[in-house]
Amino acid sequence: MVDQHTPPKWSRYKYPESLYKHGTLLIVLLFLGYSLHFLNVDIPLLLGALGGLVGVVGDRYYPPDVAYVLDRGYLAAILDTLQMSFLGGFAGVCLAIPLAWFSAWNVSPNRRVFFPIGRLGVISCRAIHETIWTILFVSVLGFGMLAGVSALTMFCVGFAGKLFADEIEAIEMGPVEAMRSAGANPFQVFLYAVVPQVRVAFTGIAIYTWDVAFRAATVVGFFGGGGMGWYLKRNVQQLENLRVAAIILSIIAMVLVAEFLSGWLRATVNRAK
Amino acid sequence: MTVLSVTGLKVRYSAKGPEILKGIDFEVKSDDFLAIIGPSGAGKSTLIRAVNRLVEPTAGEIILLDHNVCDLNAKQLRELRRNVGMIFQEFNLINRMSVMDNVLSGRLGYTGNMRSLFRMFPKEDVDQALYYLDRVGLSDHINKRADELSGGQRQRVGIARALMQRPKLLLLDEPTSALDPKISREVMGLIRDIARELKVPALCNIHDVQLAKEFCNRIIGMQDGYKKFDGATETLKDSDLEEIYAMEVL
Amino acid sequence: MFLTIQNPQGVASQLDLRRKRLTKMTLIWGGIILFIAWCVSGTIIQDTDWSRIGGRNGVLAGISRYFWLDLNLLPELIIPTLETFMMACVGTVLGCFFSLPVAWLGAANVTPSKTILYPLGRFLMVLSRSVHEIVWALIFVSAVGLGALPGILAIAMRSVGFISKITAEAIENIDAKPVEAIRAVGGNQFQVMYYGILPQIYPVVLATVIFEWDINIRRSAVMGLVGAGGLGLLFFRQMNSFNYGGVSMVILAILLLIVLGEVISHYLRKAVI
Repeated sequence: MVDQHTPPKWSRYKYPESLYKHGTLLIVLLFLGYSLHFLNVDIPLLLGALGGLVGVVGDRYYPPDVAYVLDRGYLAAILDTLQMSFLGGFAGVCLAIPLAWFSAWNVSPNRRVFFPIGRLGVISCRAIHETIWTILFVSVLGFGMLAGVSALTMFCVGFAGKLFADEIEAIEMGPVEAMRSAGANPFQVFLYAVVPQVRVAFTGIAIYTWDVAFRAATVVGFFGGGGMGWYLKRNVQQLENLRVAAIILSIIAMVLVAEFLSGWLRATVNRAK
Repeated sequence: MTVLSVTGLKVRYSAKGPEILKGIDFEVKSDDFLAIIGPSGAGKSTLIRAVNRLVEPTAGEIILLDHNVCDLNAKQLRELRRNVGMIFQEFNLINRMSVMDNVLSGRLGYTGNMRSLFRMFPKEDVDQALYYLDRVGLSDHINKRADELSGGQRQRVGIARALMQRPKLLLLDEPTSALDPKISREVMGLIRDIARELKVPALCNIHDVQLAKEFCNRIIGMQDGYKKFDGATETLKDSDLEEIYAMEVL
Repeated sequence: MFLTIQNPQGVASQLDLRRKRLTKMTLIWGGIILFIAWCVSGTIIQDTDWSRIGGRNGVLAGISRYFWLDLNLLPELIIPTLETFMMACVGTVLGCFFSLPVAWLGAANVTPSKTILYPLGRFLMVLSRSVHEIVWALIFVSAVGLGALPGILAIAMRSVGFISKITAEAIENIDAKPVEAIRAVGGNQFQVMYYGILPQIYPVVLATVIFEWDINIRRSAVMGLVGAGGLGLLFFRQMNSFNYGGVSMVILAILLLIVLGEVISHYLRKAVI
């Protein structure tokens, strides 16, 4: 049945596209393999790790010492953590809004000066992990929640700043042009053409930022920033595994509560717009 | 010879939902190009999909190629399905894959998992795919991605994919209603010619009565889950059409 | 020229509405400010040992300690930097493998059991995201010991949540038509997934994985703080020996690595989409 006079030719592997594709794949695989070797990863241990995890959890962490996390001191630490996350989130959002305005290409007040400042500010806050911020602030400000709040603020600036800037860059430019043609200065343009368009989205992002800040707040204490993490650190060092288990459970529970709360708040904000 | 015979076919999608097909009987002979016409919502698509059990029948009997479709287990059903080529209204191509891979995917029913994983189809399948792609006029587009083609070209890929199965029956689900009139005519002509060449019967569900009259030798008229007309194309009268489409006029 | 108000009642009711809205906004913002003030007094004013910080000069002195680079550290930096990068890569790949079954369970349209396995999949997604990477690392360090392996596992576990959530959403949003076509040619379950579902979801999944890899470089840089190798360990040592110039060097290395990651992921994502 096949047409004989023009024997058709087709191959899945076309030179050179196919070579590039498979070559890249091979290099990536080799790199991953070499990484395992370089990092001294014990492959059987890796494969057994999840099974081992269940064993370890069963042996060492069960049953969690629930009474410990219901103690007044610890409950106060939960409250501290909540307050830290609120403050860090609030300060971070307040700082992130101007930075996002600077670093949004379409409405930046000055593309030569303010744009790089905004971008650099947001990127450097984002690039450094919240735990490193904590350690740095602790070394300058001493142990305590001031360092924790400062670290969370930096973290939130990075987190919210990027989302805010993305949101601003996606606005409709019509109102911006209208305001500019009416002779408004960049700040007025921002207030009248940008803010009304992004208000609802910003509120949602701010709530989400708090949610993420809370997750980070649970561990800043581990490096001296106060709150629940500090209890975690103390008990890890004293090998009080049952208490550690209880603390981790309480962290998970609180994070779930925070996530539920933030989801509900965001839904409410979206409905109210 | 009878390829497909359907008796008392009833379908409802959920236990409490409305009955879509309310007892349908018909047969497809080995030289038929059979059209199913009727207003939208009459159950044409459901009927076509019940034949290869993409939709589960609730009652009735479907004898396809000497098998009772309703009694088959999953594996037997797959083996039966690979004998039935299907062409879809929206082409149902895999958009991110090349035209060639789309056509080859018609052979999946005959291909093992290992070969499917690496897309290593046997040489004769590749040759056959090249032949059919040439037959439907797509020789220049073999290595393009399916979503780069126009509607008519995509449906041609769909046809080639169905032919790859070496089907013993073609099921056509509104093959032309996503295409403009001129292309529709070309595509229908192509399907009819190929069906004649390969001596494959076809069951075609079609909205456009003109196309049905032009290309099909037999017509079934459906309305609201019932069969209203069944006969050779020449015997279809305007009064029959009026009855079939009565609901739509209202 | 006089402007007379044609509809005084209408204007009055509109003014009334405006007053009500103003009152509402004042109440909301007043509440937020009071709340923040309470947080500030609780966490910052009462908790901070102001005398120890030593006023503005103390803070400035604390910060200025970091403004030099210990170039002698350069040779020691190379291997931990590589380790950090590799940990992020291997962790991300491992996370993808863990994500596959979770996404399969947690996608409503393909899950094998809606009543038991679907909620389980959803729970695993939330669990993975709600536990901070530091906590995951602590758990794995206690399960498999010090080294790169716990870091890899912690990164993998932390990545599962996001990757599997996006993958599950992509699976839920696929176009059913190609799936129907593959079923109609007689394809089995595997072929339906491989030809019908996978081509539709892989661009989304790949973009997500690249995004997550970018974040994982950040995470991998702090794994060492709890004993899992890489730049974090070096950071910790420099901090403990009060070698502030060394600390700055490590931070610089982290920043370089992250910029590199951003650039690579930017081009990779472009190539995928």
